[in-house]
Parts: sequence; structure tokens; C-alpha cells
Amino acid sequence: MKLKESIESVRKTFRADSDPFPTDIRSIEALRVKYLGRKGLLAALFSSMKDISDNDRPLAGSLLNELKQEINSVFYVNKESSETNQVAHDESDYTLPGLKFPIGHIHPVQQTLDEVKSIFMNVGFSVAYGPEIDDDFHNFSALNFPPEHPARDMQDTFFIDPDTVLRTHTSNVQIHLMEEQEPPLRYIVPGRVYRNEASSFKSYNLFHQVEGLYVDKNVSFADLKGILTYFVKRLFGADTQMRFRPSFFPFTEPSAEVDMWSEARGQWLEILGCGMVDPEVFKSVDIDPDVWHGFAFGLGIERICMLKYGIDDIRLLFQGDKRFLEQF
Amino acid sequence: MRIAIDWLRNFVTVPGNTQELGNILTMLGLEADYGLDTSQLGDIIIGQVNECIKHPNADKLSLCKVYDGKDTLQVVCGAFNVNAGQKIAFAPVGAVLPGAITITKVKIRGEESLGMICSEKELGISEEHDGIMVLNKVAKVGTSFINYLHNYSEVLELDITPNRPDCFSHFGIARDLSVKTGSKMKSPENQQRSFQKNEAENWIRLKFENENDCPRYIAGIVQNVKVGPSPRWLKDRLESIGQRSINNLVDISNYVMMDIGHPTHIFDYDKLGSKEILIRRGKKGEKINTLDEMERKISPNELLITNGKKPIAIAGIMGGLDSAVNENTSNVLIESAYFEASIVRKGAKSLGMSTDASKRFERGADPIGAENAFWRVIDLLEEIAGGKWIPGVVDPYPKKINSKRIVLTRDKLDLLSGCDINDTFVVKTLTGLGCTIKGKSKKWTCVPPSWRPDLEREVDLIEEVIRMFGFDNVPTKYHYNGIMETHEPDPHKELSNIISILTGLGFIQVFNNSLQSKKIVSTLDIPAVKVMNPLSDTMSHLRTSLIPGLLETADYNLKNGTTDVLLFEWGNIFRQEKPGLKGIVEKFQLTGIIHGNLNEKSLHRINKRPASFLILKGLVDTFLTRLKFHNVAFNGLKENELGFLNSFTIKVAGNTIGYIGDISSKFSSNMLLDLKQSFGFQFDLNQLLKLLETTSRYKPVINFPLIQRDLNFVMDEKIQVGNVNSTIQNNGKNILLKSEPLNIFRQESLGKEKKSVAFNLVFQSSSKTLEDKDVNPVIDEIIRVVSKKYSAKLR
Repeated sequence: MKLKESIESVRKTFRADSDPFPTDIRSIEALRVKYLGRKGLLAALFSSMKDISDNDRPLAGSLLNELKQEINSVFYVNKESSETNQVAHDESDYTLPGLKFPIGHIHPVQQTLDEVKSIFMNVGFSVAYGPEIDDDFHNFSALNFPPEHPARDMQDTFFIDPDTVLRTHTSNVQIHLMEEQEPPLRYIVPGRVYRNEASSFKSYNLFHQVEGLYVDKNVSFADLKGILTYFVKRLFGADTQMRFRPSFFPFTEPSAEVDMWSEARGQWLEILGCGMVDPEVFKSVDIDPDVWHGFAFGLGIERICMLKYGIDDIRLLFQGDKRFLEQF
Repeated sequence: MRIAIDWLRNFVTVPGNTQELGNILTMLGLEADYGLDTSQLGDIIIGQVNECIKHPNADKLSLCKVYDGKDTLQVVCGAFNVNAGQKIAFAPVGAVLPGAITITKVKIRGEESLGMICSEKELGISEEHDGIMVLNKVAKVGTSFINYLHNYSEVLELDITPNRPDCFSHFGIARDLSVKTGSKMKSPENQQRSFQKNEAENWIRLKFENENDCPRYIAGIVQNVKVGPSPRWLKDRLESIGQRSINNLVDISNYVMMDIGHPTHIFDYDKLGSKEILIRRGKKGEKINTLDEMERKISPNELLITNGKKPIAIAGIMGGLDSAVNENTSNVLIESAYFEASIVRKGAKSLGMSTDASKRFERGADPIGAENAFWRVIDLLEEIAGGKWIPGVVDPYPKKINSKRIVLTRDKLDLLSGCDINDTFVVKTLTGLGCTIKGKSKKWTCVPPSWRPDLEREVDLIEEVIRMFGFDNVPTKYHYNGIMETHEPDPHKELSNIISILTGLGFIQVFNNSLQSKKIVSTLDIPAVKVMNPLSDTMSHLRTSLIPGLLETADYNLKNGTTDVLLFEWGNIFRQEKPGLKGIVEKFQLTGIIHGNLNEKSLHRINKRPASFLILKGLVDTFLTRLKFHNVAFNGLKENELGFLNSFTIKVAGNTIGYIGDISSKFSSNMLLDLKQSFGFQFDLNQLLKLLETTSRYKPVINFPLIQRDLNFVMDEKIQVGNVNSTIQNNGKNILLKSEPLNIFRQESLGKEKKSVAFNLVFQSSSKTLEDKDVNPVIDEIIRVVSKKYSAKLR
């Protein structure tokens, strides 16, 4: 039977053509058209069925179907591997876009935090960490916030119980450090802090703070100004205009707020708070305030980050929107 | 606090323009601004109304010709007070006002309007919307409105820190200013009056339950006052700082407080119902209706002024409605007291009230200022309300408040300031602030004034000296003594490496809220730490896992059109393992999830590749290898309490450092998320960081050739390939370098429920070139063990 021979010959050429199975899309498509296309070899065999005698037709039909199945299954088996991960080998056109890989992004708060840490570490500060949930003593009393003092209103507090709080600043670690180590001390303390404030474009119920502490025998307000001037100029540029403005914090005396001038906004912007460690703080951890002096400072990473990148809504930093984060 | 600059001029010469004054006060620690956000007023300019006629088609509108320094523009204005000749704040076409309102060219009742004449409300200055803001005649047409505010604004908003009760008045601000500028202070007009016989004692008797709560209470009587509107000057004064005039009596009390700082209260004497005033703590169940017509429930937290039976005022916070003055009042009792700061604060807090009076008392009042305020009120009641003072004053002052003596030494001043401040400056400053000072250089003895309760210690005086010297005049020094740290400065040093690797693998870092709803934390069976006073129910508990936050973020992105995410976060999670603070455990964690597709369809990839467990496993494996962790073991578990299904523990050198698995669908259903299946990992960051401290040691590079062999086993479908591979590895006899499954093949010819798995084995010896006779026995043994253990057949 002539058709049977034709079927075998197509089978033979197919096996030769498909082993190895082509890897690029064009060759696969060409192979498919050659055998399975509307005018392909298989279609030609099927159309020649009409010339077969009625006796031979059932056998020829089953042979032809067998071939069709074989060809289909080869395509099927190879298709999966070629479709899932194989690069189409059309490398002739170098103007095509390259293969894309997923791109990760470091959060702008992390980038700011890393930069702040590195500036202080460059001038000899070590880094310490401490608990986010702490007792009233470490978060308030030891830092010279007497009970019933209006200063406590400066920081709206989340309570776990009447004596346990979600820390409102990382200054609690200042107390832990001084309880555990003898001066001299030179640390920065990054960490998450909480404020019981409704969310808005400028406030969120938590943020990241970096607090600094330097305790030694001869430490003056001039030294505080020195370190923080260095810090601000390193972070925002050597030409940054800044000022130290008197302020109040229970745990420092004198206390100051550091502002930097924003030409774009035509105004001073608050960037950090600082001051000389209050003698009451030293007393609460049994360090002699007549011998030891020091300065402390605290800054909000989110605030600095927002100033640096011109971000106008703090909530963007906690939303995890890919369209926002992929800009960093 | 809002201050009027003209009011300040009553006491001191005000230097420069408003901006300059604001700067001086700011640099004294009295942060000043214009009481409004000027950042959005950049488009506003000064205009002049040259012509103002009635709008032809509307009764209440005017048609103005406004000159903006260049052109004269037609503007339609609806304010009643617009008139020709006025200088006004003009928003030209294109200007953007607070609230993002853009001024456009419009036609109003058929007349073109090219801009807007602004009211205070439109400028965000006040709620005043009745009329336009008419500016001072000196304003220069065509210049910026912000510039005008810098020069001519008549008010400043001051942010008074909690340590400065003395600055809650024009007089107090003037005092700081005069010390700084050297300009002489004018004292407020208050005269202590003398009297022959203390007739006031016939009208009033005072009793104190506890003099610690109320160390001083001054009371006096003025008869036959006429209640009515205040005179123009008094109204103007109060209105200049944004206060509304009520009647002459109330205005007098408010005026004296804003003028010299001490709060007083005026009772309607005839409504007291008794001649006896008893100052005592509140009792449980007691109630009082306060001036703001609210019923207040009293507790022993509050100090009360009572008529012996009933409360007539909450001390230092607010007066009672029943004893309030009104148009029929004729005899009044004047109270000027010193209440203990902490009592007032406790009371105000527990009642949820904050008043002008409570703000001052809770920061520490002035026991002598109380006297001054008392006499000033008496004067004004006679002068303005036509009353007659009953000679005498009831002022037992049961507990004298004395200022402490403070020793200030030159040594400490030099040490803390880090600069030279001469003796003359020190003495002049402290004297100017009201201290009496004795002694010479090196050591002074100071007694601070009654109005400065914040000056208690040497360091407080030093602050005052440096503050007046000017923080900006202190030099910047840069030196260290005595510390040379040799330990690793940052315990989280490796965290930045971890972050770099993960982001290099395509993960995006996020920071999520630590506070979650009860519903979310209850997804896991972990006892959560509860917040006593949450902002809302959605933030009542501390997170017990970083997974929910990551899922929420993925879901947020999904809803905003980004299906495919690889996310990670580091942060603390919290468990309440036992009651109390000691029972709270904080754990430092690193968690990541993948969701959607790892890659989309593209020119180079015919199909997208959906995220899967094995993709994540590969990522985690790469991550750990990059951190130089070798021999990472993934040990199968079914489900764990941490929210993973089909999970594996990740072990390094025998330590469990984390988990990997399918994220339980419990989260999505509990949190009502649209997410499909996601996969996640979780590491104990402290453990990871600790393991990273050890330096890995070098292994020599081996140059003997590798021998590769493939083995193909047919085995039951249900056999796990990873286990077979482990078996092969365990039987490698020191020469099997690695073994890896190559492909899995299924065909009917293999038999039902069977698969054929090919393994690639790589052999190498560290001491010689391997030959067939070395490798073959090992391979034979591997074939024997695998065939037996898994009923597999070599193909």
C-alpha cells in the first residue's frame, strides 16, 4: 500500500527533524507548520485518504492517527520545557530588550538609617539596641519625666499596662546602657518607637528613631555642636545652613532643637533634638553628675528621609506600594 | 500662645520688623511663627483697590479695579467691607490657595473676574470669612504677601515649652526679650493697696483641707459692679490675639491673664450660698456643671473650690456654672490662687480638659504673681465695671513657697558651655531674668524669682546664661577623650549584607505596622501583647508574626494592579508568654513572601513562571549560600504554629534558624484578602546574625579531575526524590562530591504510577586521580542501597 509507505517515510523524517527538538521559537514553529500546518505533511496524508480503497481505509486510518498522536505528543512533551524557562534563541537582533530579572529595592527608610549610622560610626560611635516594650522607669521616670508632668504630654503614649509602655523614644536604651556599663560611653541607638497619634500625612503611629549618647568627663555644649554640625553637613551637604535653637526636653539641660534652612521652602526645618544630659538622668542610674557629663540627641529617620527625598506623606513609607518603592 | 506685638510694646521696645522679632524669640527658645502656614501663600501678592462700584447684575457683589503693580484688573468681590483705596491680599489668575484651590478667569453674573481678593479664611489665617483682609497702608503694591507678613504682621504664634510657665503672658515674653536686647522693661501697673481694717474678712472665710494642694488662695470682694460690654480698648486687645469679648468682668480676668500671666476667677458672690470657702479634694459621685455648660463627674483626683458643701469651681481648671457672673451680677468674689501643679494636671487629665488656666497652673504658677494679678483685677473692676472694693484681702498663705538658693560655679559653667562667658554677662543675665545674685566670679549664690519654678539647679542657671549668650555664639568643637572602642561597633552589621543579598535576588524591602487587629493576630495561636489604649480596633495588638503585614502589603499591591511581588521585612514580633512585662518576649525576625509570577511572559520567555515553593526554596538556598552557610538542611514538617503549611525547618550546623513553606490560607480568609497562594520564609535574625559572626575557614582547591556518572532509577511515583538524593549522598564514601536529580520522566511504558529519575553524580578525590575501579564499587553500593530502600530499579 502506497499510503502506508508514505506514512512511514513521514514518520522517519519527523523523527530526524525533531531529535534534538529545536529550542528557539522560530524553528519550533517551522517544524509545527511543516508537519501539523494546514498545508503540512500530515494534512497531505489525510487528504490522500480519499484515494484509498474501502478495504484498506480502516488500517490506513489507524496508522495515520497513530502518527498524528506521536507527532502531537512530541510537541506536547517538548513544549513545556521550552515554554517555561528557555530563552528564545533569537539573538540576531541586538536592539531587542534584554532578558528581565526581578529587581529588588532597599527601602528609603533603610537607606537613610544606614547613612545616619555610618556617619556616626565614622566618628567613633558604637551601635546599641534595646526593647520596644519597656517599663515606665526606663521610658520616662529615669529620663526625668516626673509623674503628672506636662512633658509627658509631648509624647502620646501607648500603654500595655499602667507601668508598661511601647517606648516613645529609643532613649530607654540610654538608661539600659548606663545601668550596664561604666562611662565613658559613646553610642547611637536606632529603633522603632511608637506615638499614640492619629495617622496623617505628617504623623504615623510609629517611626524609627536614632538616639545618641556621649558620656565622658569633659563634654561641653561646644562638643555637642561639633558632632551634630558634622552630622548635618555630612548628611545634607557641606553648605547646609543650620542653627541650634533653645528648646526643652526633660532629659537634657540645656536643650536645643537643630534646624536646617530649606531654600526651596524658604523656611527653617526642624531636624533633630539634643542637649546636655540632665544631672537627674545620671542620678537615676547612679552615675555621679559632678564627675560625668554628656550630651544626647535624637532624630526621626522618617523625617530625615522625607526631607532628603522630598516625600510629602509619611504613610507612603509604611504602605509598601511597589510603584513607590521601586523608585529607590 | 498668640501674642500681639503692639501689646508687647506696653512693656518693652520691640526691635525690627515682625520677622526679626520672631527670629529673636525663636532663638531664645520661644519658637515663633505667623500662626499660619505660609508655604502655600507664595502666589499671593499685595494689590490695591483703585475703584469699587456695585455689580450691575447683583446687589451683594462689587465690581473692583485692582492694581497689582503692573496692570489694573477687573475683579468681582462679594465682601461687604471692600472699598476703594484699600490694600488687599490678591490672588491673581493661576494662583493656588491653601486647600489646592486654583484661581481661574471666570464670569460672575455676566462680569469678568480676573483674580480674587482674599479673606483671612481663604489665606488659612483664621476662620474669619465675613470680609476681606484689609492690610496696613504701608504695604507695597505688587510685592509678595509673605514678605508683608514678615514686615507688618501684628501677631506671632509662640510655642511655649512645658518648662516656661512664665512665658504665658505678654509681660513674661517681654522680660526675656529685654534681657536679650538690653532694652529697659516697663513694669505692669499694679499697686498693692493698703487698708485700715480688713473688711473682706466679714464677707469671706477660707478653709483648707490640705495646704499642700493649695499653698495660697487670695480672695477679695468688689461690690456693685455693672456688667456690660467692655470698652473699646479692652475689646481690641483681646481681639488682637483672637479672643472674643464676652462681658467686662470675664474680659478683665482674661486680659490680666494674657497681660501678666496669672489666671484669676471672678465668682458671683451672691450665688455662693455661703461665706465660707472650703478648698478640698473631690469626692466620688460628686458632680459640677462647669462654665461650658457640661456636667463633670468629680473624683478625688480633682481639687475643688466649695462653699462648704457644694463645689463652685474645679480649682485651676474651670469655674462652675451656678456661681458664674451674668448681666445681673452685682457683688463679686475675686480668686487669685496658687494651686499645686501636679493636682491641676491630674485633674485636667482625668477630666479630659485643657483650659488657659490649667495650662498655666500645671506648669507651675507664680505665688507672688498671684498677688499682682489680684490687685490688677481689683483696679480694673473699679475702673471699667464701676465696682467698689471692700477694703481688705483674705490671704492666709498657709504654705509659703520659697525659692531655693543655688550655687553657680565658674568651673561648671566653663565645662558645660565649652566657651568663655564673662562675669559681667553672667550677672547681668541672671539679674535681668529676676534672680538675686551674690558673690563674685568663680562662685555665685543665686535665688531665682518666684515666676521661674524651672530654675532649681546649677545646670538650670547655666542653661539660662548660654541661652541668653546665644547657642549660635557657642563655638563648635570636635575632639574626644578617653574612648577607644575595639569591639565590633554594630551588632547588626551583617543586616545590611542580608538586605543587599535579598534585594539582589529581587526582593523589595518593606516596613509594616507593628500594631494589628485582634482578628489578624488571632490567625495564629500565639498569645499576643495587647495595647491598653489603642488608637482603634485595627491596632489593638502587637504583631506575633511578620507574615500578616507582608500579606496585607502584597494584597494592597494586588488591588493596585501589581500581582507579582517578592517582599521582605525585618523587625520585632512580640509574644505575651507570661503575664506582665517580664512575660513579654520580643523576637527579631526576617520574613519574606513571594506571590504571583516570578516573571511575566516576554519576548524571551514564552510563558510566565508562577511563584512556587521550589522557586522560593531556590531563592532561600542562594541567599544562605551567599551568606556562606554550607550544609543547609531542609527538614520536612507538616504544618507549624507560625502559619506555614507543608513547611520545612531550615537548619544550619544543627541550629534551627527558620522556616519555609506555603503560607496558610487561614490568613487570607481571616484578613479578607484577594491573594492567591503565596510562599514564605522566616528567619530568627538574632540567630542568623550570631551564626554569621564565625568566620568560615578556607578549604584547599582540589585539582584532581572530576568524574561524572548518571544513574537512572525507576521508582514509585510517591517516593520523594529529595530523600533518594540524600541516600545517594550518604553513601558517597568520601569521594562523592555532589549528587543532584537531573530530570524526571514519566511514560506508560515505565508502568503505572512510576517515574524514572536521573541523578547526576560527581566524584572527586582530594588525594589522587580517580579511576573506574575506585568509583565503580561506590556506585554499585549506591545502586544496591537505593534499589533496596526505595524498591527502585536501575533503568
